[in-house]
Parts: sequence; C-alpha cells; structure tokens
Amino acid sequence: MAKKTESYTEAVEKLRRIVSDIERGDLDVDVLSENVKEATRLIQLCKDKLYKVDEEVKKVLEELDE
Amino acid sequence: MVNDKLPSCSLSELLAQVRLVLADSFADSYWVRAETSDVRVNASSGHCYLEFVEKNSSTNQLIAKARGSIWAKTFRMLKPYFEMETGQLFTSGLKVLVRVQVEFHELYGFSLNVLDIDPAYTVGDMVKKRQEIIRQLKAEGIFTLNKELLLAPLPQRIAIITSPTAAGYEDFLHQLRENRGGFPFYTHLFPALMQGDRTEESIIAALERIDQHRELFDVVVIIRGGGATSDLHSFDSYLLASHCAQFPVPILTGIGHERDDTIVDLVAHTRLKTPTAVAEFLIACMEREAVRVDELQQTFVSDTRRILTTQKSLLQTLAARLPAAALNRIGRERSSLHVMAGKLPLQASQLLLQRRNELDLCRQRMRVAIESRLAKEMRALELHAQFVCLASPDYILKRGYTLTLQGGYIVKSKAELLPGNPLTTRFTDGEVESTIHLKND
Repeated sequence: MAKKTESYTEAVEKLRRIVSDIERGDLDVDVLSENVKEATRLIQLCKDKLYKVDEEVKKVLEELDE
Repeated sequence: MVNDKLPSCSLSELLAQVRLVLADSFADSYWVRAETSDVRVNASSGHCYLEFVEKNSSTNQLIAKARGSIWAKTFRMLKPYFEMETGQLFTSGLKVLVRVQVEFHELYGFSLNVLDIDPAYTVGDMVKKRQEIIRQLKAEGIFTLNKELLLAPLPQRIAIITSPTAAGYEDFLHQLRENRGGFPFYTHLFPALMQGDRTEESIIAALERIDQHRELFDVVVIIRGGGATSDLHSFDSYLLASHCAQFPVPILTGIGHERDDTIVDLVAHTRLKTPTAVAEFLIACMEREAVRVDELQQTFVSDTRRILTTQKSLLQTLAARLPAAALNRIGRERSSLHVMAGKLPLQASQLLLQRRNELDLCRQRMRVAIESRLAKEMRALELHAQFVCLASPDYILKRGYTLTLQGGYIVKSKAELLPGNPLTTRFTDGEVESTIHLKND
C-alpha cells in the first residue's frame, strides 16, 4: 500500500499514471477496483493540498521571527 | 615694519579681479561631462548643491573636481525631467552632461552653475553599465541560475520582500486573499526599504534572512508599489542582481515600473509588472493545477465508467448466448450419441463374428498340432521298443550267440575259468553242462 505522505507532485504523477493505465483499457477488472480506490485517494489528497488550509504551515510562518 | 611702498591690494580686490577676468573669459555657457557627487538639496530654499568630479577611467583616481549648484527655479524643472527620462533619481554617482556657467564669487569661490541637463547622456551611460553588469553575470555563469530553478507546482508559501507601508503590499495581499478559486496562500513579510540609497543592502539583508528558512518557502516575491518616482537604480546593481540570480528559491518580481526591465527583473525566475500581477501569476499557477486535477478526475471517472459498461454489456451478451449455446451443444451431443447407439448392434455382431472365426481357427490349429505331436511321440516309442527288442539276450541267443556261466555267473574272460569246474552253456532253447580241460599251447 502506498504511503500517505506523497508530495503534491508525486500524487499528481501517480494519478496521471493510473488514469493513463485505465485510459489504455488493458486493465483487469480485478485490478480496476484497486486502482479506483487509489485514484480516489490521490484526487482527494491533491484537492486537499489545493484547497485546504494547512494549519501547520500557517502556524510555522506566523511564528517565524524576524 | 609695514612696507607701504610696495603695490598691493586686498583679498577682495584680487578676487574681484579674478571674477571679472573669469566672467570675461568664460562668458558663454558650456556643455560639460562629469560625475555627480555629494548631491544635496537645501530643504528650505530648494537649491541643489553638489560636486562635479572626473575620475581617471583606469585608476578611478580623482583628476578634477568642482563645486556645483542648481538654483531652485531650474532644479524644480530639471529634476522631474531628468528622472522621467532616465528612470533614475537625480543623485550622486551619475554620469551627467550638463550645461554650466562658470562662476566665481569672492566669498564662495569657484563653482559651476547648472542651466540645463541632457538625460540621454546619462541613459547611455546607464545602458552601458547595465550591459557591463549583464555581461559580468553571464561570464560568471550565474545569470540564469534562478530561472533554472523549478517553480513548485503549488507556490503557496510565499516570502515577501517589500516595504510594509507600500501600497503595493496591501494590493498584493488583497489580491491573494480574494482569489476566486479559494486557494490558501501562506505569506510572510521580510520588510525592506524599496527606495533610497539603502535599498540594495536592505533587500540583500532580507534575502539572507529568507535563506535561513529557505525550506519553508516555495517562492520569494520582491514587490513595490509603482509610485511616481522611479528609483530603480538599486535594481540595476550588480550586487543585488548577483544575490537574486544565485538565490536558491525562485524569485518573482513586481516592482511596478513601465520602462525596460531592471537587471533584477532579468535574473529573476519570472518578471511581472506589478504586485497585483505577481499575485495573479501565483493564483494562475494554482488554477492550472486545479484544472489539471479536475481533468484527471473526469478522465478517470469517465474511463472507469466506460470500462464497467463495456464489461457489463460483455457479460450480458455472454449470458444471452449461454442458453442457446448450451441447447445447441446438448443437441449435438445427443445426436452423436444416437448415431453411436445405432451403430452399436452391427458393430457388436461383427465383432462377435470376427472373434468366433478367430476361435475356430485356433481350434483347428490346435487339433492339427496335437495330432502331429501324438504321431511323433508314437514313432519315437516304436523306435525305443525296437531298440529294446534288439538288445534283449533272447534275441541275441536266437542269432546263435551263447552265454557261458561258471558257478551261476557269466564268464566274460578266459582268465576267469578254473580247470575242472563245470561250465554251463546257455542256448536259446536250453542249457548244457561241460567240463574244462586245460590245453598246453
């Protein structure tokens, strides 16, 4: 199972690979369900990075002293 | 003792004479090339005082120096004209071409009073200097270093170098905060002076502070509200450009000016016109990624759906074909069974017949074999009987042979004979007794 701490770039790259696998259509239906699960997770991860406020980053930058 | 006899004059008389001679000899005005130095403006009068200097181009040693002045009336017009044309504050360290009048005053001494200035000369010099700096940065191999850095796909963590009081800063923050996509950005201000003589060192110091936390930031933005004054001299400096070019985090500039790029703009990762444009650029990066993820998601969903639909219809086709295929197959098997069943009796009787024939053949061959074997054994027996008959003593006696016995035993040798003993000679038809007499040979 993939680790949960991919960077955005890694996540998008993985997602792109899965989508092109699916696109090519030579995918086993058994594998498909696994890929769908993984792709769904990756999409959520990308969207979190895009839209959700990362409180940790916010805090670090706010507390950064000059 | 005072020598009253010698001809003499007072200082003021002498200097007045100098002034007259100078005024006479330098009655016109002159276009002069010089460098400005120690430029200062008297706040109350508005007059500008400065030094004009000339340096040896190779040794950089001063070879000429003169005091200069620009009266307030002239300065009020010359300064904005010069600054607009050059994009450069009228300040120390500039190569200028000025039209001057030579002046001499008994109390204030020699000075050059500026009547006019030709900004094109300064621009030309600045261009030359800029080109020299660019050439140097390129020769050092650092000109494109910052451009070669990969900008993070999501440039959300932003180090801002600007003056906190600048209007551009608020515009920038406002633009980022109000972005349509609702993307979060994280900013931290590293305050610096954005105009005046200390701009260069102040920005460099800010860069150095950012460098200590470089892993916290995706991008550095250097922004400045576009005021009326174009004080871009600092952004054309070698030292600042060199720092920016070699900075390990991509730098975006938005220093708000219309004229050609400053050298800092040229070496920056991306050059934008205004702080607002920088914010738009960052938002556009996020939007591009958002679109990309959305597209991937859509492709993913539709492709998955397509595969499932295809598989489902494939299953349906298979399921539909199954009964017919099964019946068909059963029918075929049945009819082939039928055919086989029909063939069975004939084949069985044929087989039986064949086997029977084989058996008959065997029986016949067996009889022949037994008979021939019996005949052979019979012949052998007869042969044996004949042989036994021929070998019997009776048969031998019949042929004329006799047996000689002594004391009941068959005599086989002359040596066994004892004279005087009775001998029995047996014939086929009886026995006779005799006595042995020894013959002397």
